[in-house]
Amino acid sequence: MAALQDQPADRPLLLLNAGLYGAKLTGASLKDHYRDPAVYVEGQVAILETFSPDFLISPFVLAGLGEAFGSRVTSSLRQPPNVAAFAAESAEAALRLPLPDVDSHPGILYLRESIRLLAGRYAGRVPVIGLLVSPLDLPPLIIGLEAWLDALLFQPEVARALLDRLTPFFAALGKAMLGDGATALALTANLTNRFIVPERVVETLGRPALREALAEIPGPVILHHGGCPLLPHLGDFMGHPNVVGYVLDAGEDLGEARRVLGAGPLLLGNLSGPDLAGLRPDEVGVLCDRALAQRGPDQQFALATCCADIPLDTPPECIEALTDAVCRAGRVPA
Amino acid sequence: MDRNYCQELLDAIERADRAGAAAVVDAWAVGRSFSQVVPELLSPTLESFGTLWSQGHGGVSLATGYVASKVAEDVLSRLLRESSPDGGPILPSKGPVLLGNVEDDFHPLGRNMVVAFLRTAGWDVRDLGVDVPPAQFVDQAEETGARVIGASAMMYTTAKNVARIRAEIDRRGLTGKVQLAVGGAVFKLRPELVSDLGGDGTATSALEASALFERLWQRSLNLDPTPLRALP
Repeated sequence: MAALQDQPADRPLLLLNAGLYGAKLTGASLKDHYRDPAVYVEGQVAILETFSPDFLISPFVLAGLGEAFGSRVTSSLRQPPNVAAFAAESAEAALRLPLPDVDSHPGILYLRESIRLLAGRYAGRVPVIGLLVSPLDLPPLIIGLEAWLDALLFQPEVARALLDRLTPFFAALGKAMLGDGATALALTANLTNRFIVPERVVETLGRPALREALAEIPGPVILHHGGCPLLPHLGDFMGHPNVVGYVLDAGEDLGEARRVLGAGPLLLGNLSGPDLAGLRPDEVGVLCDRALAQRGPDQQFALATCCADIPLDTPPECIEALTDAVCRAGRVPA
Repeated sequence: MDRNYCQELLDAIERADRAGAAAVVDAWAVGRSFSQVVPELLSPTLESFGTLWSQGHGGVSLATGYVASKVAEDVLSRLLRESSPDGGPILPSKGPVLLGNVEDDFHPLGRNMVVAFLRTAGWDVRDLGVDVPPAQFVDQAEETGARVIGASAMMYTTAKNVARIRAEIDRRGLTGKVQLAVGGAVFKLRPELVSDLGGDGTATSALEASALFERLWQRSLNLDPTPLRALP
């Protein structure tokens, strides 16, 4: 909790994007893991007991948000559910879809109940991060990325209308997740990243829409790189309401990011979670030490896995290497 | 002064201005045979754009690449409507080749862009869509005579399914004869995965896919020139 409250921490913080990996530790089927909040929570409990991260996370199952709008979701034996068919074929068609009720839709209740259970169990001791997407990243889950790019690039007035329609849903869900006990929200805003869309879209649609949406959230927000480089465009994501932290992409220069951000915001990164499966524990340790060395005594830095979930076939020793690294670098014995 | 249509088209693509690109194509077509639009306008423009893209030019976003693919599709659609006045082939014929997202992968954007650029380059592309099981890739290769399979995967988790396509090709005794091209964000980030998972090659951008397919097609012919399927 210390870093989020701008208080000194007794060791470098550790965040694991290990929502999926909880199922490996509990042996639960992914179908149950991503449908039953109690099953998911047992996974996070196992993650906490096994690897001692400083944060817990809500299910990283963005497809569920698309499902709430009517997209068809498919399950997998190896990864979180994915959207297999979209609720509408265009941004114009999506304008006619009803907004899901955050208090009654089963998929959304799964997300919220997971947070409630985690917060109830660890309130005041372990922060629970609620994972969400900004309104800019909701349309790819509802109409697909291509249709959303078509709107952003070729029909900006329709794109703006859809953002206006989706922002109240985003705000309602964000408020609800915080009300359920999430300490902060972490969300992506890929469709306002210059790596994905041109400057014109960032300036005229992306940044204004992101600012307006974030102003509606009554709590701290961490912006996640979402698979795109964040550091080259960090300025686009600064100065927005309620933003207290940034998750950088794998390997991005943490020192440079701190220089750009200045003192204050939480800085998280920069190990690729998906890559852990292909490394030896000693190789993971080297990467951790390198990241920790870049930030030295920075109390507002958290060693974190970024990109997607840590894969199921990652040896536990590779995740333990992160725990060992923060303990080595910290002020408490391992 | 002569207009530099290629530069104008490139500028329109960089502005993500699809309508502006269409206007440049319209202007170029005045007094010209549209059958020459690919070699004289589209290909050189896309070649220049590909260079900017692969060099990580600051103004080139993923969406700009998407716009380039849409411009290519627009030109090809018009070309198909306006058949060659001399009755010759509208585009050179290469292939057939297959493209699809590997099993469990539902991220079609990159694949769709590659499809557009391959078709622009004259390939007969059979697009299998998303979530394609390994057996379906190889079944289709045997049915169509495709010597190159293009498998797309965005994430590390799904990229591992490339190894299952490799195994299926080898199991049917088609090693070398059917070449496996792989692509997607994960291979750009981790190039070593291409060989680790059994791929025969990759391209650094969608626009370089055609050159890759040319190399792989030729390698297949060098290894075994007999057709994949009995000719009818």
